[in-house]
Amino acid sequence: MQNKTFSRSLNFVLIGAASVGILAGPLFLNDYWQHIMIVSMYYIILAASWNLLAGYTGQFSLAHQTFAALGGYASGLMIYHLKVSIGVGFIAAVLVTAGTGFLLGLLVLKMRGIYLAVATWAFSESMRLSIAALYKFTRGEQGLAVPSLFDSLAPIRYYYLFFALMVGLLLLMYLVLRSPIGSFIRAIRDDELAAKAMGVDTVKWKLFIMTFASTIAGIAGFFYAHYIVILSPVILSFNEIGKVVIMVVFGGLGNFAGPLIGAPAIVIISELTRDFGSWNMVFYSLIVIVIMRLYREGLAEFFRNWIQKLFGKKPAQNNPLQE
Amino acid sequence: MNVTPELFLNFLIAGIMIGALYALMAMGITFIYSIMKMINWAMGEFYMIGSYAQWFLVSFFFGSAFWFLGVLATAVILFLVGLVVQWLLIRPMFSTGMERKDEYGTVVTIALALFLRNLATVLSGPNTRSPDIDLGRIMIGGLPVSGNRFAAFLGALIIIGLFYYLLNYTWLGRAFRAGSQNRVGIQTVGINVLRIDQIAFAIGVTLAGLAGALLAPVFNVFPENGAVTTMKGFEIIIIGGMGSLPGAALGGLLLGIVESLGSVFIDTGLRNVYGFIFLIIVLLIKPTGLFGEKERLS
Repeated sequence: MQNKTFSRSLNFVLIGAASVGILAGPLFLNDYWQHIMIVSMYYIILAASWNLLAGYTGQFSLAHQTFAALGGYASGLMIYHLKVSIGVGFIAAVLVTAGTGFLLGLLVLKMRGIYLAVATWAFSESMRLSIAALYKFTRGEQGLAVPSLFDSLAPIRYYYLFFALMVGLLLLMYLVLRSPIGSFIRAIRDDELAAKAMGVDTVKWKLFIMTFASTIAGIAGFFYAHYIVILSPVILSFNEIGKVVIMVVFGGLGNFAGPLIGAPAIVIISELTRDFGSWNMVFYSLIVIVIMRLYREGLAEFFRNWIQKLFGKKPAQNNPLQE
Repeated sequence: MNVTPELFLNFLIAGIMIGALYALMAMGITFIYSIMKMINWAMGEFYMIGSYAQWFLVSFFFGSAFWFLGVLATAVILFLVGLVVQWLLIRPMFSTGMERKDEYGTVVTIALALFLRNLATVLSGPNTRSPDIDLGRIMIGGLPVSGNRFAAFLGALIIIGLFYYLLNYTWLGRAFRAGSQNRVGIQTVGINVLRIDQIAFAIGVTLAGLAGALLAPVFNVFPENGAVTTMKGFEIIIIGGMGSLPGAALGGLLLGIVESLGSVFIDTGLRNVYGFIFLIIVLLIKPTGLFGEKERLS
């Protein structure tokens, strides 16, 4: 019990310190590093919502980056073709990603484990190839210009916008995980048949979590698109979902803190090693292979154990948000 | 466009020919799945390695006249690579009593895919290469067909035939089939199941690499050339039913035909998307795929 309380207060201290640090960030970060932070926050949202699917529900979807791109494209295409306002674009992004997420959820409803990963991957590649092929409508590889949210492109406003967005969406996901839904989806992951026998409406919650996570990715994608102001099919590529998987695994799969540590770590390392070009991804993938082979709990767990050792406490056994 | 019976026949043949290559890829994926119950996400990268090996061997060793020697050498190379990769990454899944094997297998092979793909980009640059093989055109029933495609088709048929023979008429094939039914069972009769896994993985990736080598002159050689073919391989195993080799073969042919006819009658640009639409239709009619059996829940 004591460990649990300690672990919780430790979490609060860490979260508080991180929030203050991020809020004060622009005081000492230049535009370039503010941009890096924005990208990190975008990937945190993406990775955390993917963790909800893969880590907590066992739905190893490989179409998550597709929903982020769909959010951006839904809004961008509405604005480009119909000249609507950005607010309408946002509504379109939410509706399209929620709708597509629900339909994909229906398609993969009966599929388990690997089967689901294969089907979502086929979906994701098909979407990428469609967007590239329908270039008359989507402008394909030439790129679709998207208006920016603010009149200036200086990153500072986006910085706080993304911070608020990240905190809001993480809180929402945290609350879902704390609610009975969190127990339902973990039960589904561990043993779907047993969950069903215990009265969990597996169909309903699997569809819910797929729609929910897809919509979150769509919202993140919408804001990101209006920040980078240009969209191309590259953001749907396998490298993107690969990056998200790497971030989550790096931090710890099925651990709420995992993506929060993994995403910024990977984004920042990737910026620092930018000069090495493609060697970047070569290194990450090697790191992931090594982590998977030798330390499967991920960085979050590693730090937790380390900090607790530092304070002379045993590692927490039953943290409610990790398994 | 004016659609004549000849045109229809022409595209039907083209579809069947490319379908045989897709079937090769899908059989590799489904074979590995049937023994180890894991999906190798790096399959497209083994296809890529196969195509690079073929390009390299034909350009620097055998010359374009002896391209088939390149295919044979590629098979040997891929088999050895498969043995090593399985030993390093996949074997610990079974030898260390790991929990949540699915998750490990998926993440590790996705990382392997990214590793190999980006390594290829670093080493060879994003340039597109093509082995200098030109077998001209041949006529089938009065219709012209690209010689390279026809050679790839024949090669795929021969490989599928050999694979069929291996599975059904040899001791090793019997061990594979037994292993796919019951992993514990084959250990009790004295078969080293870890060795069977290793050989099965190597054979599976060799099939993908052979598809890459045969298609190298048709679809060119570049670091991401495996992606589209893998996607089709995955679509096929869902269409055909997971773990079913006849399903993979038939699914491959059907996908080739659907794509070929779709691109002539509807829109060429969407060629790579018809497979997914076809997949949805098949799943709506038969949720387990054509040859799939309803999975028993534990």
